[in-house]
Amino acid sequence: MPKVLIVDDDVDLLEGQKIFLEGNGYTVKTALSMKEGVEALESFLPDIIIVDLMMEHYDSGFVFCKKAREIPGLSDVPMIMQTAAPKETGFTFDASNPKEREWMKVDEILTKPVPLNRLKGVIEQYLGRSKKDG
Amino acid sequence: MDEQLRVIAVDDEEGMREGIKRILRKKGYDVDVAEDGESAIELINQKPYDLAFIDLKMPGISGFKVTEYINEDLEKNIVVVIVSALATVEAAVEVTRHGAFDFLVKPFTPNDLIQVTDRAARQCRLIRERQKYLSELNSERNISRQMINSMQEGVVVLNLRAKPVLLNPKAEFFLGTRFSESLEKDDLFKEKNIRDAIETIISSPPKEAKTRIFRLEENEPVLQIRIDPLIRGDETGGAIIIISDVTEDWKAEQDKNRFVSMVAHELKSPMAAIINYIDVIKTGMFDTKVDRIHELLDRCKIRGETLLELIQDLLYINKRNAGKIEKSIESLDLREVLEHQMEFYRGQTENRKIRLSLEAEEGPYTVKADRADLDRIFMNLISNGIKYNRENSELVINMHREKSYIIVKVRDSGIGMREEDMKNLFQEFYRIRNKRTSGISGTGLGLATVKRVLSEYNGNITVASEQDKGSVFTVSFPAVSA
Repeated sequence: MPKVLIVDDDVDLLEGQKIFLEGNGYTVKTALSMKEGVEALESFLPDIIIVDLMMEHYDSGFVFCKKAREIPGLSDVPMIMQTAAPKETGFTFDASNPKEREWMKVDEILTKPVPLNRLKGVIEQYLGRSKKDG
Repeated sequence: MDEQLRVIAVDDEEGMREGIKRILRKKGYDVDVAEDGESAIELINQKPYDLAFIDLKMPGISGFKVTEYINEDLEKNIVVVIVSALATVEAAVEVTRHGAFDFLVKPFTPNDLIQVTDRAARQCRLIRERQKYLSELNSERNISRQMINSMQEGVVVLNLRAKPVLLNPKAEFFLGTRFSESLEKDDLFKEKNIRDAIETIISSPPKEAKTRIFRLEENEPVLQIRIDPLIRGDETGGAIIIISDVTEDWKAEQDKNRFVSMVAHELKSPMAAIINYIDVIKTGMFDTKVDRIHELLDRCKIRGETLLELIQDLLYINKRNAGKIEKSIESLDLREVLEHQMEFYRGQTENRKIRLSLEAEEGPYTVKADRADLDRIFMNLISNGIKYNRENSELVINMHREKSYIIVKVRDSGIGMREEDMKNLFQEFYRIRNKRTSGISGTGLGLATVKRVLSEYNGNITVASEQDKGSVFTVSFPAVSA
């Protein structure tokens, strides 16, 4: 069963998404902060990571992604960022632009609130893709 | 009525000198005499004269030489009339060539003298007016210049070729450049859009040239650059650039934007949580596990209520900012107020087995405040002291007087905080999120509001804490002498 790591500071968001994804056959681990998320990375070795942008600091999410990529085995793991505030923090990120992806280290950005079915769809898309690439 | 004109008559013949003196004095002129060129020059160096009658043929320095000396060496605006026996055209030309204004032919009648004098006097007055005018012009230019130099805004003026022709001290300061003849527009502004805007404005006719405003935000001070065309009659003769320090406004804008972002985030989160839980329930996966459904509904309720609280708090903040909160300041006994508030929380504390108590030394504890404000300050702290506390623990309120302040310490033996968590504690929307606090609801606005309201009374709040041991919030509130 594919492993999903969700990192977010909203305990209900974590719970809701976890229940739903588990009901759809995924193994889910949740982390309430960047610190907890980093701890989970090595022990859990997720197949895909869903992470919030603003946790303790304005850019905790990005810092987390950089750390995740440095872990052997996780350098190619798809990383999906969920955030309530993409426009307000003033950044416009084009995920299809390889240069920006290179710098941001994130594969896609979703605007909260993300409907559960959409989340499932995005996960299937990225896990399906990586399966295809072997 | 202008001042009396001062005349000097230079002639080696005494009769001539005295004659001129007598006739003109009768007319009200102030007249001095000199018998030759040298003494005339001496007198002229000492006193100011407006008009000089100079005899052409004198021993020593000739009349012409004196005239030349007056005009060139001294640069004095003395109107010179040459007195001579020659009456030819050549002589007249000669006279004007030497810088004299007129000449008087000997012998002359008193009338002749007076006519020449009147003509010369008109010339003197013209000269005086011109002097006065130039001086006023200079003074006005001085005033204008002083004005521009003391402005708090930077002023840059560019001519038709976009070359800087004026830079006031504030502009030099803002742009970090001193004015010099070799300065170019591109030395002042590095930004392409500003340079282009300047070119466009200068090359457009006045009706089409639109004011452009730019903001340089990368450094402090944050500068606003406003470019207007310099209008000369019907044409654009250059550009005027006004540079102002808008740092305060910019910061306020940033703060406001940040606040709005945070509000959006804080409003979305509970709604997202509730909708997610509803979606989960509707998948039907818990249809046979009603307990689970109730757990999720409980969470929905908590998040929903917190959302309502948040909206109330935001409305209150908005009202306060708009100055629409009515305060009724009264003399209150802070001790009584606290005891009353504690009663309100009695039920909650008993439920969770928290021992709530008040320790107070001898008062008086009189304060001048609006009661609702005191509730806002202290009930927030008591509520936090319950929320972030454990079962079977303490919540102690300690108060004592320290000179002109009342010190209230709200101490709990709850989950406490780490040093790094406390840094932003009083910031809007800040909440500590970790395993210990994950079940605790709150808007993140409580302490920020406490701090703001306290500052309105010149009070203050500080916090000390140790993780897993508890926290102490210390409020100092100004007392009034009973």
